[in-house]
Formats: sequence, structure tokens, C-alpha cells
Amino acid sequence: MLKINNLSAAVDDGNKTILSGLSLEVPAGEVHAIMGPNGAGKSTLSYVLTGRDGYDVSGGDVTLDGEDLLEMDPEERAAKGMFLSFQYPLEIPGVPTMTFLKTALNAQRRARGEEEMAAPEFLKKARALAKDLKMKPEMLKRPLNVGFSGGEKKRMEIFQMMMLEPRFIVMDETDSGLDVDALRIVADGVNKLRSPDRGMLIITHYQRLLDYIVPDRVHVLSGGKIAASGDADFAKKLEAEGYDAYAA
Amino acid sequence: MMHMPLDLTNLPTRRNEAWKWTDVRGRVSDEAAGLSAAGLPKFTLPEGITVSEIETDDLDTDSAMAKLARNFGGKVWAISVPEGFSSDKPLIIEGLNRGHIRMRIDIAKGASLSVIEHHAGDAGGFVNIDMTVTLKAGAVFDRTLVQSDPDDCVRIATAHITAWNDAKVSQHALSFGGALSRIETRLAGMGKNIEATLNGAYLLDDKRHCDMTSYIDLAVPDCTIRQAVKGVVTDKARGVFQGKFHVRRPAQHTDAEMRHDALMLSDTSEIRSKPELEIYADDVACAHGNTIGQLDDSALFYMRQRGIGLAEARALLTEAFVADVFDDLADEDLRESLLAKIRDWLNEIS
Repeated sequence: MLKINNLSAAVDDGNKTILSGLSLEVPAGEVHAIMGPNGAGKSTLSYVLTGRDGYDVSGGDVTLDGEDLLEMDPEERAAKGMFLSFQYPLEIPGVPTMTFLKTALNAQRRARGEEEMAAPEFLKKARALAKDLKMKPEMLKRPLNVGFSGGEKKRMEIFQMMMLEPRFIVMDETDSGLDVDALRIVADGVNKLRSPDRGMLIITHYQRLLDYIVPDRVHVLSGGKIAASGDADFAKKLEAEGYDAYAA
Repeated sequence: MMHMPLDLTNLPTRRNEAWKWTDVRGRVSDEAAGLSAAGLPKFTLPEGITVSEIETDDLDTDSAMAKLARNFGGKVWAISVPEGFSSDKPLIIEGLNRGHIRMRIDIAKGASLSVIEHHAGDAGGFVNIDMTVTLKAGAVFDRTLVQSDPDDCVRIATAHITAWNDAKVSQHALSFGGALSRIETRLAGMGKNIEATLNGAYLLDDKRHCDMTSYIDLAVPDCTIRQAVKGVVTDKARGVFQGKFHVRRPAQHTDAEMRHDALMLSDTSEIRSKPELEIYADDVACAHGNTIGQLDDSALFYMRQRGIGLAEARALLTEAFVADVFDDLADEDLRESLLAKIRDWLNEIS
């Protein structure tokens, strides 16, 4: 599904190389975790995959279902099904959450040549999901993320993810800022989205989240490439022993 | 009444401090339509209000534009609002398309009046409006002003508002500029406990120019003033904001805030801003803030990551930036119509 082949990327106008020769394949239906020390390039990977400005790809390629992602604008990638749950979700003052999400959903549908979702259907779906995620209904009326706590923002990311039903999900440090109860609610939401035709990449510094969302594969990102891989138990080993053995 | 053509040297120039960024003389040609003629405004009146024409040479101010309005505007269009009057219908003023126009609105004790002004000029036109509004004790004046001129039309719209005790003034101006346009509001607080909101927004593309100038003169205690002006400029447009709060010695317990925030969507656009506080009273809370910035790249990326195209993301963020100066507009339909105009403008520039 998602294939990353020998990917290299830099920031600061190409002066600072962050990723160097990273290769990774996440087949449909699987959940992979990427762990690694601070500064290993975990967030850079999430931004390169989703097309943020300022991250220059100097080599390699990335395809989703065989289509070259790197040539696409961020919104095209989103329409193809790429979703990033941000480590630090942005506040969008003045744009109500529901307006934002409905605009996003219908922009994606238009880009895919699908019919737009009508307001009543959208509202019904949103209300039901908000209830599942134990979100207060008034949060949906407020400007997106404005005045939300760190935990509320993360829950809002999962809410958006469930509304948009992306094909491939990248989660960047989704557990940070969440207490155990919120973590369980978020993980339940994510687990519900696991399906044979959807892939996920969970980027995390700590193993904790992986107790709730059990991955099929775990990779260590160090020195800008995958330094080691293993199964779900490998995450526990990493947590116990640290990343020193994989230092670049 | 026939007049000699207007002598262009009587128009304000950059050399006048108050007009240093709005060079009327430099922008007006002697062939401008309405330069030496009276304009013909059209009034849609709520029931119980009448308009009459009165002849007077009195001048409320000695400003250059007011003098020109007296010389070329002919009679004064006078509207008086009787004591205790109120109506759910606004007074609508149109036909402000060319020429010199003098208007006077007197709002009696405890009366309230809503005015909606549509400023839409003629191609190659010149418009000079001099409006005087007096609010007696406890009077309420809600003014909404929408201005959009052809790109070769020059407009100066000046309002002199005098407010007596417990009066409430609420003004919302939306401007899309013109060759050169200036919306000037002068408020004199003459009785204590006045409340005034003076909000506005300008959205300018191409080589358009808009100047929002205000002068709030307080000589009495316990007044509350809120001013928020938002600007959006792109291409080679130029936005000007000049705001002054003059708090005289007796004006104790003045609570006044002035904000001007502008977004520059192109490197070639221009913002000129001069917020001023002149304070002689010692027990007051006065503040001003002024920012000029660009759209937040992180927010734009976040929106695009969710599938919203760049143009739509920019439009949503810009609308949200501007719209809040109209949040306190009581008339929901009117507010929505202003937002629709803003959306149309954003669609056009994207």
C-alpha cells in the first residue's frame, strides 16, 4: 500500500539532511509503528509524506497504491487518502469545527469525483462520532481547536480522522498530552478504523500507546533510516533497553 | 445654482499631515464627474421619519472637504428623528454615486435610528459627502456603511457625530476601496457615559486605495469606546488607517480601546497606519494595538492536509480574520449580507 523507497530529505533549504535512505513498506491492513529517539527524523517523515513546504526531498520515492505521492500537493494527497494526525494540532481562529470539517470532506469528495455529503447526513454522522469519543457537542461549534486542551485537540484529530475515513493514517505522537482514560478512548477509535484495506503508521517516542493499538511491525528510526525492525514485542524491548544500541 | 468649476488646488494634498497617505489632489482629474456639482442622494425612510432640504451656510467644521461640500453641495438634506422614535426598519441611503452631498441627521432624546449607506460610485466619478449627526441624551445611532467604487472613482465620506450623555453609537464600515477612498469618522463626546463602537474592514486588490480615518474627541467622563479595524490588501493595493483618541482632562474614567490589524497577501501591497492616543486625564484605561502580518503557513498546511485546496484555505482564514469586526452587528441578515460580500471578494481574488 504505502511504499517508501530509499527516501532522503532535508530542511533549511536543503542544508540539513534529516532522512537518508529510508525504506519502508506498509501493506494494506497492517499497522506499523515507528519509534526512535528525539531528533531521529520522526516528525520530518510525517511531513514529507504529507507534503509540507520546507522539506526538500533529495532522493527516493514514495507511492500510495502505486501512485507517486511526492509529485502531489498536500490537498491532493489528502484526497488520495493520506491523513496526518498532528503532534501539535493547529488552532484555526474564526472557523467553526463543523464548517472546517465539512469543507474538508467535500473538497476531498469533489477531488475524487464523488458527490458531496449533504448537511443532514454530515451532522448525523458527526454527532454520533462525537458521542463515541465522549466529546462535548459544543466543541463542534467552536472555532477549530481554539482554547482546547492538549488532550481535547488530540481527540479532535481522531474525530476528524473518523469523519474523513482516510485510506492511510500517519499518527505523530498521538499519545502525548493524553491521560490514560483519554488514551483508551482514542485507541478504541483508532482500532475501529483498522481494516483490510487501510494502513497506519504510528510514530511514537514511547511504547505506552502500543499497548492499546497493537502494531503488526515495529521499526526503529535512527540516523534518518530504519535501523531495526521487529514484531509488537520488539517495542517492549526498546522501551526497556533504550535506543542506544541503534544510535547512528 | 451654478458655480465656477472647483479649483483643484483647494483639495487636500500629501502636504497636509492628515492627508499624507491619501493624496486627493494627486488623484482627481478636472474632468471627474460630479467635481463641481451637487449629488442627489436617495432616501428610503422608515415610517415616521421625513427628509427635508434646508438652506444653510453654517459649517460644523472648517475642514477643506466640508467647505467644498458647502460650496458645491447646495442645500442640506435634513432628517430629524423625533423623541423616543424607534423602528425595526433602517433608513437606507443610496445614490451616493457622484457630486457633493451634505446631510444632517438629528436624533432626539431617547430616539434610535439605524442607517444603512450604500456607497457605490460612477466610473470616473468624484464624491464628497459631508454628514453631520447629533445624538441627544440617550439616543442610539447604528450606522452601517458599505463602499465599493470603480477603480477610477474618488470618494471622501466624512461623518461628524456629536453625542450627548448616555448616547450609543455603533458603526460598521465595509470598504472595497476605489481609485482613492476615505471614510472619515469624527466623534465628539459632549455628555458623559457615551458608548461607541467604531468597527470597520477594508479589502483591497489591484491598485485600490482605502483610508479609514477616525478622531474621537472626549471632553466628558465615563465614556466607553471600542474600535476594531481589519484590513486585507493584495496586488498593489494600499490600506491606510489613522485613528486618534483625544482624551481631555475632564474625561476621567474613559475606557477606550483601538485596534488595527492588517493582512498583506502580496509583497507589493502596502499598509500605512497611525494609531494615536493623546491623553490628559489621569484616571483612564486607554489602549491601542496595531499589527501587520501574513496568513499563517502552518494553519494553511493543516487545512490542506485535510483536503482543502490552497485558494479555499486562504479564503477561509482571511474571512475568519476579517469577520469578527462584524460579530456585534445586531441585525443578523445585515451581518450575513456583509459576509457574503467579503466571500465574493475572496472568490474573485483567488
